[in-house]
Formats: sequence, C-alpha cells, structure tokens
Amino acid sequence: MSEPVTSPGQVTSSEPVTSPEPVTSPEPVTSPEPVTSPEQEPAPESAPSQPESTRSGPGRLLVAVYGLFALSASARAAVQIATKFGHAPVAYLLSALAGVVYIVATVTLGNGSPLARRIAFVSCSVEFIGVLAVGTWSLLDKPTFPDATVWSGYGSGYGYVPLVLPVFGLLWLRYWAKRTKTRPPAAAERSLSAASRRRPSGTPGARRSR
Amino acid sequence: MSLVNGAVPTTIIVAGLALAGGALLMTALNRRMGGGLLAALGVLEILLLVLVGMIVAKIIGGGRPAGGLAVLIGYLVAIPLVPLAAGFWGALERSRWGPAVIAVAGLVAAVLMVRLHEIWPAIGV
Repeated sequence: MSEPVTSPGQVTSSEPVTSPEPVTSPEPVTSPEPVTSPEQEPAPESAPSQPESTRSGPGRLLVAVYGLFALSASARAAVQIATKFGHAPVAYLLSALAGVVYIVATVTLGNGSPLARRIAFVSCSVEFIGVLAVGTWSLLDKPTFPDATVWSGYGSGYGYVPLVLPVFGLLWLRYWAKRTKTRPPAAAERSLSAASRRRPSGTPGARRSR
Repeated sequence: MSLVNGAVPTTIIVAGLALAGGALLMTALNRRMGGGLLAALGVLEILLLVLVGMIVAKIIGGGRPAGGLAVLIGYLVAIPLVPLAAGFWGALERSRWGPAVIAVAGLVAAVLMVRLHEIWPAIGV
C-alpha cells in the first residue's frame, strides 16, 4: 500500500521482479520486495482480469452507484411521504417504489449468489421498465406529478443516471450468466438445476432461449 | 457566515470535480487504489465537515432553509458519509474500479453543493 503506482496487480506477467516501472529505482533487482508481492496478489492462479464476484471489478462501481440511489431515493420518498403526502401522492409512492427497487438491486448485486442474481435481474428489469413508464407518464400527465420522482422525465433530475443504470446492471448480470454457463462451478450447477425445477422469467436459460 | 455564501461550497465543487477527474484518470490508466487518492478523499471529507459545521451554526443562529429543515438535516447527516463510504468500498477493490468508486464520491460531493443551494439559497455556490 506504500507504493500504489507500482502495484503488482496491474502487471499481468508472471514475473514481478522485472516489473516495467521506470519510476521506482534504476536497479530492478533490489526494488521489489519478494515478501510483499505474493501477499498483495492473493490468487495469481485464477486469471486476475476476471472479477471474483458481482460486487468486484466493474460491479464495485455498479453497487456503489446503486447504493447511492438506494439511499437518495428512499430517503427522499420517506421525507416526502412523512411531510407532504397529500401534495403529490402518486409521485411520492413511485419514489418509494423506486427506493425499494434500488435497495433490492444493491443488496442482490452485492451478494452475487445465483438466487441473488435472479432477484437482481427482476429488480433491474422492473427498474428499467419503471423509468421508461414513469418517465413517459410524467411527461404526458403533468398534473399527476406536481413534484418530481427519481424517474420523472426519464431521470432527468439525476443526470439520466436512472435510465442508464439498469442497462449496465442487466449487462453485468448477463456477463455473469454467460460466465457461469461456460465455466460452471458448483454454485452455477446448483443454479441450473434450480432453474430447471422452477423457471421464472429471470433465469439464465429463459433469457438465452429468446 | 459569508464563507457559506460562496468560498467553501465552491472549493468543494472544485475539489470534488478534481478528485473525480484524477480518479477517472487512474481508472483509465488501469491503476489501483493508492494512498494519494485516499488522502485526497480525506481532504474532501474535511472540507465537507467544515461546511456542515458552518451550516449547523447558521441553523442555530436562527436561519431556516426554504426547502425544509428536515430535508436539510438529512443532507447534513448524509454528506459526511459520502467520502467515508466511498473510501471503504473503493479500498476493498483491487482493480481499476476502486478509483472509479472514488470518482463517484467526488461527483456526488459537487452535485450535493448544488442541491444544498436549491434547498437553501443562502448556501451559495
């Protein structure tokens, strides 16, 4: 952690001694500590470019943004419902729905088990349909929305992040569905057997067959 | 109170955007989390705490926000948590996506200044 620039995780070669870092020192033999480098790279056998779970790699950013929206949408809805519910009940209830959807997506994407990924798929789908439907509704029926929701105007009040977030969420889940299908560990096989027993719309098999 | 009305929020916006830019550059260059980024995050945290303290003093002094006191207090509680949460969550990541989390915190800090101004125009930007 003392030298973040020369972190061995970004060096994909198998030789950490000859790490091509011109900043560190002119003598490459003495610069790397042979003790620290293996502990900073915990699993060199598993391909380092592949994230370990749905909450690492790009998922780290995804879960962070989902958590941000879970907090902001649910807190906003709570304040609105508690203080002035009669002012715009539809808008505030939709804010609360959005908050719940974001919370579920945050937790399930952070968990990453096969069941959690199925719930996350449903949650991201509801979110995507919701932002499209509420966005259109808020533009067509302005008297129903005297106050904005997270999804009003397709999320225009939040830099359209609510519109693109479920797309990235679904892409990330599809990456995981493909990955567990091509290289199935024990957990994925359990998921597939569970999917053959009970097949909701969110299973990888159902999506693939379309 | 003149500092609330301009200097500190503006500094936070500049610092947040600079942090976001630097962190995104690290993501683009495939760099991992490092001490420099966490130190910059700490500076942002201190700036936010200073601002929260000044706004609390303004409330105690009798000022009332136009957008509602409850909303403002919610923001005052949430604002200092942003760099902390991003720091912990990003430090867990051993890839380029750790700095990306920090970039989100910088952007959020800047956006929150605009939101504070909307809730209470006395908080300038």
